[in-house]
Amino acid sequence: MDHLSELESKSIYIIREAYKQFHNIAMLWSIGKDSTTLLWLCRKAFFGKIPFPILHIDTGYKFPEMIKWRDEYAKKWGLNLIVGRNEEAIKAGISPKNKLECCTALKTEALKQTITKHKFKALLLGIRRDEHGIRAKERYFSPRDLEFRWDYKNQPPELWDQYKTKQDDEEHIRVHPMLHWTEIDIWEYIKKEKIPIIPLYFAKDGKRYRSIGCKPCCLPINSKADTIDKIIQELKTTSISERSGRAQDKESAYMMQKLRSLGYM
Amino acid sequence: MKTIQEEKRMSIVIVGHVDHGKSTLIGRLLYDTNSLPRDKFEEVKETCEALGREMEFGFILDHLQEEREQGITIDTAQIFFNTEKRNYVIIDAPGHREFIKNMITGASQTDAAILIVDANEGVKEQTKRHAYILKMLGLKQLIIVINKMDLVNYRKDRFIEVKEDLLNFLLRLNLGPSFTIPIVAKNGDNIAKKSENMPWYKGKTVLECLDTFQSMRKNSDKSLRFSIQDVYKINNKRILVGRVEAGVIKKGDEILILPKKKKTKVKSIEKFLENPIQGEAGESIGITIQDSLFIERGNVICKEVGDKPKVTDKIKANVFWISDREFNINERITLKLATQEVSAKVEKIEKRIDSSTLKEIETNAKNLKNNEVGVMVVKTLKPVVVDNFNYIPELGRFVFEKDNGIVAGGIITEEK
Amino acid sequence: MIIILAIDALEYELVEKFNCQNLKQKFYGKTDISEFSQPRTIVLWSSFMTGKNKEKEILLKGKKEMWNTKFDIKDTFFSEFKNPAIFDLPGFNYNKEVHDKSRTLLKKFFEVKTEKEKEKIRKEYNKDAFDHHKKIKERFLKAIDKNHDLILGYFSVVDVIGHLNFGNNMLMRMLYKEMDDIAKKCAEKNCPLLILSDHGMKAIGKFGDHSDYGFWSLNLNKNLKTPKITDFYRIIKSLR
Ligand SMILES: Nc1nc2c(ncn2[C@@H]2O[C@H](COP(=O)(O)OP(=O)(O)O)[C@@H](O)[C@H]2O)c(=O)[nH]1
Ligand SMILES: [Zn+2]
Repeated sequence: MDHLSELESKSIYIIREAYKQFHNIAMLWSIGKDSTTLLWLCRKAFFGKIPFPILHIDTGYKFPEMIKWRDEYAKKWGLNLIVGRNEEAIKAGISPKNKLECCTALKTEALKQTITKHKFKALLLGIRRDEHGIRAKERYFSPRDLEFRWDYKNQPPELWDQYKTKQDDEEHIRVHPMLHWTEIDIWEYIKKEKIPIIPLYFAKDGKRYRSIGCKPCCLPINSKADTIDKIIQELKTTSISERSGRAQDKESAYMMQKLRSLGYM
Repeated sequence: MKTIQEEKRMSIVIVGHVDHGKSTLIGRLLYDTNSLPRDKFEEVKETCEALGREMEFGFILDHLQEEREQGITIDTAQIFFNTEKRNYVIIDAPGHREFIKNMITGASQTDAAILIVDANEGVKEQTKRHAYILKMLGLKQLIIVINKMDLVNYRKDRFIEVKEDLLNFLLRLNLGPSFTIPIVAKNGDNIAKKSENMPWYKGKTVLECLDTFQSMRKNSDKSLRFSIQDVYKINNKRILVGRVEAGVIKKGDEILILPKKKKTKVKSIEKFLENPIQGEAGESIGITIQDSLFIERGNVICKEVGDKPKVTDKIKANVFWISDREFNINERITLKLATQEVSAKVEKIEKRIDSSTLKEIETNAKNLKNNEVGVMVVKTLKPVVVDNFNYIPELGRFVFEKDNGIVAGGIITEEK
Repeated sequence: MIIILAIDALEYELVEKFNCQNLKQKFYGKTDISEFSQPRTIVLWSSFMTGKNKEKEILLKGKKEMWNTKFDIKDTFFSEFKNPAIFDLPGFNYNKEVHDKSRTLLKKFFEVKTEKEKEKIRKEYNKDAFDHHKKIKERFLKAIDKNHDLILGYFSVVDVIGHLNFGNNMLMRMLYKEMDDIAKKCAEKNCPLLILSDHGMKAIGKFGDHSDYGFWSLNLNKNLKTPKITDFYRIIKSLR
């Protein structure tokens, strides 16, 4: 078996495990490349008929292209798509410009509401260990409490493909079937499997998105990579981390305001 | 440039007592293999100088975990480096006592291990405990590095002394290292380059040793074992999904379904959008069978001819307890082995062992505590399908679960 | 002799994370500074040395003037000692030029637009902080060998570097190790040692903002749980 097949087999095993153990689960789809790959793996795990809902959290600030693209593939792949929105927050006008934590508020609340409403016991997520430091400590099956807190210091052990499959009432489990993949693995797999990917990732007019989320928080990077091969090549030669474009301006503005109030400037 | 896809990635774990030099060795490996941009090292060096300190390679690890989300901070990240031969990934494994759980989680996912010992301080409790865990996990590719040789004037006799001390311990575990190397992690002696300070050492460097290892863990050459994970009904087909734990399963194979020993034939191998004729060890696949038999999760398929796993309700095992919660022999406990899950009782704890000294604390014990090993006889409520750990590890190892969490890991030494 | 190691913005969580044994000493914890509207450096150290909440008084001076605050020794617990040596303490005798310059650079950092300019300023800013630190450290370590009945060393490097580099884990770890080594040298003197910060620090991306509690540690048991920063006036007197 080659490297990508090994990654794939392990992920499929975990997806099937999650479904068998919890049944009432959902997959979180951000429309980004990672979760679209996860969606692809779910389709493979269940021979094209995913037996659980696919959840998309709409903050109201998504790229319009994303919504269109989402609906197109949801139809094509026969997905049971649930769209979660934090209507109250969106109505109240919480907007990414005035608060550091905007997206979290919009995302987390909407997610909480949706989980409660549908009583999901577990959620499949497309996160990877190499995304950034903290992820190195993630487990494949990771319990979260009602407030979504992650007790990273006291995590259950995981060995020999045995996972935390039983839960307390006040827990839900986050399942990470792609924890062992890297960003390059993802792109190589997308290429091999010809997985359709939203065009925002490919360079247009010298810029492309390396990660996508809320429009206001995502800044495109300078890049000429307009094909998967070029993206892979670019990744192999750069060392900037994936999220670096995002949010930094906001942090800077926030920090300046804080330092002012502390009397530094 | 070789792509990752052509060459498998080998995962390794670096373990040993705290302060014996794990981070320094990792930093040095990254430096010597050019796996991080030089300016990162420059920054460490400049900062050391700005503070008037000696260069610390271990600090480079902190660069790999610029983490601030939720203000959570973490010990070490997953780290990649490569030699000309292949790519390596170092799986996280911190060395503090309270993190044994994490060390087991990390080490259970790797192909090879480096066990590090401080030449000056010698073998410590944690060194031994980590060695024990490596043994329990069945890691066979092991390098011992005796670090900080500079502190003992590069003396061969001290190297031999520490080496013998550790080898004696490993011998009792039946765990022979593949290599033992004297190194100075700080200065790079015998890591990528042979050390000029220790001409008496004629062996390989750390990188050369790593490159001799194989990332093989998949047992395609062994007899077939296919664990059933679930049964799906898709387009009127009944598909048994699961993973090939060992061997190869082919269309047309005459098979037995255990524990009930039902006989049938493989009708097809199923993968989405593919038409495979076989599935090999490690693969997650589906199969359909000729006859309509009652089949459920936990069943194991093997070939009708050739060697078969044992179906038994009694096993002998070495069990490593990794929970603060003490175990009492009268408690019922859940045993999970591959996809099988059964209720079990511990009939007898023949020996209770301290994992760091291997000293017998007690025979015929009634309890087992954190970081202790029990040599025990386990009786399961229903028969389980097992193999000896040394033959097919995938069916020779299990975990115990209690109160919704894993509390112990065990390996089967005898199927009664 | 009593030694006080006053470390600006030493963060409890990082002391734990990097497991700095010497900074922790035998007894350690967080301080309670919730009585203050904001964790302001000059306010906190002033309140510490006088044993009184000086927030109102200092804020009246305005943002600029507050950094010129200078308490008379009579208003502080230092006057209880015969021959105290105090190094670089804000609100008392700190090197205003150095600290002013670092604030000016900080301001400039946020004003300039390009990454390149920012990098240049950061470099200069960091270098100043390290250079100043080395000077104070040298003087301080010399002084603990002399015959003072009270020695207070104030170290700003963790705060200064933290504001622009808190997300640089490597730098922060090295700084904590550096401070831990200084604490070790103090501990070797076998006398009462108080280690104290005004407030801690929390991450805003790669930057550092003040957190709203401080850190304390002591090598004697005084049954402290979450003391207020003004409590130390009394505690230190009781150590004599
Ligand atoms: N003299 C000497 N010191 C070393 C060597 N390797 C590591 N050290 C020092 O030992 C200390 C602990 O090393 P570290 O890598 O942090 O150990 P870890 O806790 O196992 O990760 C550090 O101060 C290192 O500088 C070596 O080869 N020689
Ligand atoms: Zn301060």
